[in-house]
Amino acid sequence: MSQEPIIVCENLKYSYPGQDNCAVNGVSFSVARGEFVSVIGHNGSGKSTLARLINGLLEADEGKITVLGMNVAEGKNAIEIRKHVGIVFQNPDNQMVASIVEDDVAFGPENIGVEREEIGRRIDWALSAVGMTEYRNSTPTRLSGGQKQRIAVAGVLAIKPDVLILDESTAMLDPKGRREVIEVVRRLNKEDGMTIILITHFMEEALLADRTIVMNRGEIVLSGTPEEIFESGDALETYNLSLPRISVISNNLRTAGMQIKDVLQPEELADEILKNLNNCGIYAGQSSIIPHAELSSSHEWDIDIRNLDFTYSKKSPFASRALKGINLHIDEGEFFGIIGHTGSGKSTLVQHLNALIKLPQAEKKYRKPKVKKGQIPPVLPLITVGQFDLSNKKTDFKALRASVGMVFQYPEYQLFAESVFADVAFGLKNFNKKLTAEQIEEAVKSSIEIVGLNYEEVKDKSPFDLSGGQKRRVAIAGVIVTKPHILILDEPAAGLDPKGKVEIMELLHKLHREWCKTVIIVSHDMDEVAENCTRVAVISEGKVFECDCPANLFTRSEELKKLGLDVPLTTKISTCLEQNGIIIHSDCTVKDFSDRVIEVYEGGGNA
Amino acid sequence: MLSDVTFGQYYPTQSFVHRMDPRAKLLALIAYIVLLFVANNFYALAICALLIIAALAASQVPFGRVLRSVKGIIFILIFTAVLNIFFHGGKTVYWQWWYLKITLEGIIFTVFLILRLFFLVMGSSVLTLTTTPVALTDGIESLLKPLKYIKFPVHELALIMSIALRFIPTLIDETNRIISAQKARGADFESGNIFKRIKAIIPILIPLLISAFRRAEELGDAMDARCYSGSKNRTKYKKLRFGWRDLIAFLLFAALIAGVVLFNIYCRDIFPQIYSYIRIS
Repeated sequence: MSQEPIIVCENLKYSYPGQDNCAVNGVSFSVARGEFVSVIGHNGSGKSTLARLINGLLEADEGKITVLGMNVAEGKNAIEIRKHVGIVFQNPDNQMVASIVEDDVAFGPENIGVEREEIGRRIDWALSAVGMTEYRNSTPTRLSGGQKQRIAVAGVLAIKPDVLILDESTAMLDPKGRREVIEVVRRLNKEDGMTIILITHFMEEALLADRTIVMNRGEIVLSGTPEEIFESGDALETYNLSLPRISVISNNLRTAGMQIKDVLQPEELADEILKNLNNCGIYAGQSSIIPHAELSSSHEWDIDIRNLDFTYSKKSPFASRALKGINLHIDEGEFFGIIGHTGSGKSTLVQHLNALIKLPQAEKKYRKPKVKKGQIPPVLPLITVGQFDLSNKKTDFKALRASVGMVFQYPEYQLFAESVFADVAFGLKNFNKKLTAEQIEEAVKSSIEIVGLNYEEVKDKSPFDLSGGQKRRVAIAGVIVTKPHILILDEPAAGLDPKGKVEIMELLHKLHREWCKTVIIVSHDMDEVAENCTRVAVISEGKVFECDCPANLFTRSEELKKLGLDVPLTTKISTCLEQNGIIIHSDCTVKDFSDRVIEVYEGGGNA
Repeated sequence: MLSDVTFGQYYPTQSFVHRMDPRAKLLALIAYIVLLFVANNFYALAICALLIIAALAASQVPFGRVLRSVKGIIFILIFTAVLNIFFHGGKTVYWQWWYLKITLEGIIFTVFLILRLFFLVMGSSVLTLTTTPVALTDGIESLLKPLKYIKFPVHELALIMSIALRFIPTLIDETNRIISAQKARGADFESGNIFKRIKAIIPILIPLLISAFRRAEELGDAMDARCYSGSKNRTKYKKLRFGWRDLIAFLLFAALIAGVVLFNIYCRDIFPQIYSYIRIS
């Protein structure tokens, strides 16, 4: 690491206008040229504010920032500094100015008056640095989230900055997109020596840095190498951060008396476990097989999908086939996971379940196609949800929607009413016009309370005055207020910080126990579904690749990897162990996995 | 509700017309519209028709797609036709009642007018079908450039247009998502009287507006962070270039202009016996 500091912050303070508490409160740190620093902290810990202070988008109330020897607050330095410090923001959609990739990348250099030929060279370079050269003339709207975000990175790179700040740039991406972006960032740091400040709340990403800074309530509370940070275990939790899963497993194993060093990679943890086992003379063995708990279900609200096919913008040059013959059965009472890439068709699939996308036969205009003699009539898709037949025009789709609740991605963006009460009551009033005021109040009250909010406190507030996590809870309350039998959630934990994620998942389990019989979550986070779901369907390119319980599904990790999907951490570790003769049968949750490893360790190899 | 909105009308292929310079196409369309109104006889109109047929053939856009855009103005066509046929007036009266009369001149004029409007719509749809909105914006910006000298904010206007185009698909997606989400909560946008329907839009409109403002704010920050500071000292990467296709189009149009003007002057002398049926009055 070179020692020359490129950014020096001294005692920064900043509070947003109209707010009493400081968003950034007395922060001092410096970043050396070529360093890779990660900043972690819960939502609202001040990390994004810090990024905006550094390149002068916000002006500090107190303290001093020097970038490349220039004081940000002085004269026109802020504009000069932006040429040297680039920021990539969270939402890739909201950073693009132009409808064609190369035009968008050109925007920065155009602004600083770079010559035409040089802009062309910079576009070449920036696009190849992010691996998007072949998309030069594409439209960003047709790209995946990860690709869009790489374009956003290229747009910043084209200005040729010395420092690249990523302000939660991976928060809205799926794991594949996240890997793509992080890969680009690491390469820029290693090969081009670019200084990186990575603001994130994914612990796994923070681990990649040379140095990690932890922020809590506007202050820097910890700073050091990632290993040092995660050693401080419990302290992290008091800062509203959760330990990475790998550290949780290490801790569990340590409490059982195993000697596990703090490591950050699954392969290293597998080595640590092996060392322990070998020291006890265990070179081969396997854990007991816990039989899969049978689901007791009355099967009244089963979901059955047959031959489901769907094409967007049919008969236009932009037609794209999203679903290619889906067959799926979901029992009543399951906590079901649907997993796949962005664009694999999983959202399209679930929108069929409450007839937001109707089957062709259920459309008003549908006429039976005439079949010529000798031709096989086309197979029609069929869906039944409980008593409802979705292929029948006469089905009461409104009643169906009252029984199948659907929470979309980022549901808080759909809040609209003047008070929390009115917003939650919206669905209830739509579905049943005859309810009395008392009945409505009672239903709204119980649904606001079950999502963990204080009814009296929030009912008259504007939903827009709540915090991000609270908004999401209100939005969920607005869906479950009709007491649906089946609750479908599209990426319920997207964009939340680690603690928020855990809390939302706890809420869903609570709803599953007390409120809705079946819960279906759509996700792209393997660890999330492994940890929570009874069964998982993997959707790939519009087809069901496999549908099974996590324990069985993730034994096929090689095939999943071929589809470009990840496997849960526990599976990664047990695969490494298996290669060395230790077979762990777990249901892929962190707790069960730790228990099974401990069982082998304590059983002394007699299993 | 909005599922059928494809972005603009653009029909993606790589034809002769698609690869022309957008400025050339814009100028050609303007010239074409002017010519349609200058032409006062069916000979001139016929060569205008020939040109639009040639352009359509060269664009490789299926004829059905072009006709679809005419469908939108069918009501206007009928309306103007009815109005003109009864009120145009003229000497050779066939039928009369009160102020309404149908005359030979009226019929000729109505037919002429309908053809004129029809070609006009065809012409503009050839432009929109073969030119991406982005290229169109670039073309307009380039053509408006001289206005910079009278302090007209050409660059800002172009940037506004370009950002608007960029966000149309994003906001359509967003709208669809909000509509679905509210439908899932039992909202009904398809039944009820007009007041109920307007009221039903509120749960879509408010989240959409809030999201648009949030996006605008974030975009502003992102532009700031990418050193945007107005049009001062700004360079431009993309340059439009006229090519051989534009030259051919230019020659065709020169011929068309000459043709229309000549027919306008000499149409009496070609077939004097049918002159009264050829020229509009």
